[in-house]
Amino acid sequence: MTITKNRMREMREKRKVSQEGLAEALGVTRQTIISIEGGRYVPSLELALRAATYFRCKVEDLFGL
Amino acid sequence: MDMENKMMIKYGIAAAVILIGIAFETAGIGEKDFLGFGSVGTWLLFIGMVMVISTAIRGKKERKVDERMLHVAAKANRITFICIIVAAFIVMIIDGIRPIAVPYHLSMSYLVCGIMIAYLVSYRLLLRFN
Repeated sequence: MTITKNRMREMREKRKVSQEGLAEALGVTRQTIISIEGGRYVPSLELALRAATYFRCKVEDLFGL
Repeated sequence: MDMENKMMIKYGIAAAVILIGIAFETAGIGEKDFLGFGSVGTWLLFIGMVMVISTAIRGKKERKVDERMLHVAAKANRITFICIIVAAFIVMIIDGIRPIAVPYHLSMSYLVCGIMIAYLVSYRLLLRFN
């Protein structure tokens, strides 16, 4: 299962945050961030909302079909 | 549950295993070769000591567990369950062809080791490649 639209890497690079830093901020492991960015893992609603709050954007700006 | 309580429970279980081992040894229960040990008591003492050492080595370090790890663990559980069914099926067929004569404690130890290996391997692989 993959989300076709995933702008997490783009948003992260725009904010100049490392994968480690983002993982720390979202309370997950770096491997989880790598999997989400690679489209191999679909985050839960809670994690998607946390990511959206962190990037100060809507969830649909980060993830979408 | 915080780490202090978890550690106390682990040490408590290890102490209980050691005490049961000592009791078995002094009472002379299970005086025969058991899983490579002289008796059930000595085996219990060994297991108890291993539990104490592993608990002490791991220490109070808090492990980070995120949702993906839980997701992978659920998948690894399913794979392990399928492995048990497949292995049981194979053993049944082999037993039908040529009866397998293995002591019950040995077959159970094989089963436990097999489950642990299947779970650990599938968990590590899924965590790495999923």
